[in-house]
Amino acid sequence: MATSSHLLPQALHMIPRIPNLSSKSLGVSWFLPRASSVNSRISVSRVSLNHPGAIESRKRRVIIAKAEESNEGETEADLEDVAETVEDTGVEEAKTPWKPRTKLGDVMGILNKKAIEVSESVRPVPEIRTGDIVEIKLEVPENRRRLSIYKGIVMSRQNAGIHTTIRIRRIIAGIGVEIVFPIYSPNIKEIKVVSHRKVRRARLYYLRDKLPRLSTFK
Amino acid sequence: MASKLGMMSLFEPDGTVVPVTVVGFHEGNTVTQVKTSATDGYDAVQVGYRRVREKKLTKPETCHLQKSGIIPLRHLQEFRLTNVEGFEPNQMLVFDEIFKEGDFVDVAGTTIGKGFQGGIKRHNFKRGQMTHGSKSHRALGSIGAGTTPGRVYKGKKMPGRMGGTRTKIRKLRIVRVDKELNVVLINGALLGKPGNLLRITPAKIVGVNIPKN
Repeated sequence: MATSSHLLPQALHMIPRIPNLSSKSLGVSWFLPRASSVNSRISVSRVSLNHPGAIESRKRRVIIAKAEESNEGETEADLEDVAETVEDTGVEEAKTPWKPRTKLGDVMGILNKKAIEVSESVRPVPEIRTGDIVEIKLEVPENRRRLSIYKGIVMSRQNAGIHTTIRIRRIIAGIGVEIVFPIYSPNIKEIKVVSHRKVRRARLYYLRDKLPRLSTFK
Repeated sequence: MASKLGMMSLFEPDGTVVPVTVVGFHEGNTVTQVKTSATDGYDAVQVGYRRVREKKLTKPETCHLQKSGIIPLRHLQEFRLTNVEGFEPNQMLVFDEIFKEGDFVDVAGTTIGKGFQGGIKRHNFKRGQMTHGSKSHRALGSIGAGTTPGRVYKGKKMPGRMGGTRTKIRKLRIVRVDKELNVVLINGALLGKPGNLLRITPAKIVGVNIPKN
């Protein structure tokens, strides 16, 4: 295989396995992954070009020549397949560059990151930490005339991807009020950090038992 | 057939939050066998999912797949259809062609196993009083009448193993189909933990899909 020279030396030992029983039209060569994690199944399927699913299965092929993939310790098992895959990879890699298949374990992180990027492009979110005194302008869909303003100290920040929330505390009309805002929500029109108070905690739940004076903000 | 990956929230443009489950696909979803009334007595399509190493399958399983020249697949499930034309072995099924955004689906899978559980958790029984001299808090209470019938009915709800069974959740909406990541977002919560195998079918709605009577 043309790309085998790029593999690490440890990857090149022979492993005896069941001879390939499949027909010429669909041959499969197997890689035994080093790290036996669920998502690092690496395989190459050779598919004839008339096959209806050719496009799908070709997309699933992993580029073995890539440096980062070789760290997972792929092993090329059989020399028979070496000769046959030479023409295959040569021909197909010249045509289209393969995108490496996204691992299923990374999908959640990617989706959250994408959603946050979309939200940030519409309205950038400043860095908010516990102890900041912020002012939030919220649009309520029912009465679209005016934006409601909420001011207070950030008591906690719960990181959950796109649903990252902050909890704002303030004394309104003599009563302590805590409100939770998802900071990437499209309803929030503006978040502004007014000032900052030095705190030595990540969650300021102690403010509930303290004097109301400490949670009052003009 | 698909795998559950996790959950997240989506914000609609008007600000409502939609809880969605992210469902991903391993390599698979290939037709392995087509059953017709002529050969098997009913019409169905057998679909395989999740590619594995050859040595993980037994020889009968491997040869069943190699008969049609298919990669080794771990799970095989049948989907009964009224009309099986247009399906051939070793045909890849693409999710986008079958389901669109806004469709309703039924999702079946194995629930989370809870072990041996008592009546309250398993069958939503109500517990007895905790104080006021009561001696029965979480017990079953009475399990039958007196001399007639003089026995306990079969199927009486009692403590036992809970969870780990196959269940179907009906009429879930598909919120988004993402082609680059090969992922589907379905409204609501699905069965099992991330990594669980799911079976997704179009929702059976009487009047729309299923003929009345």
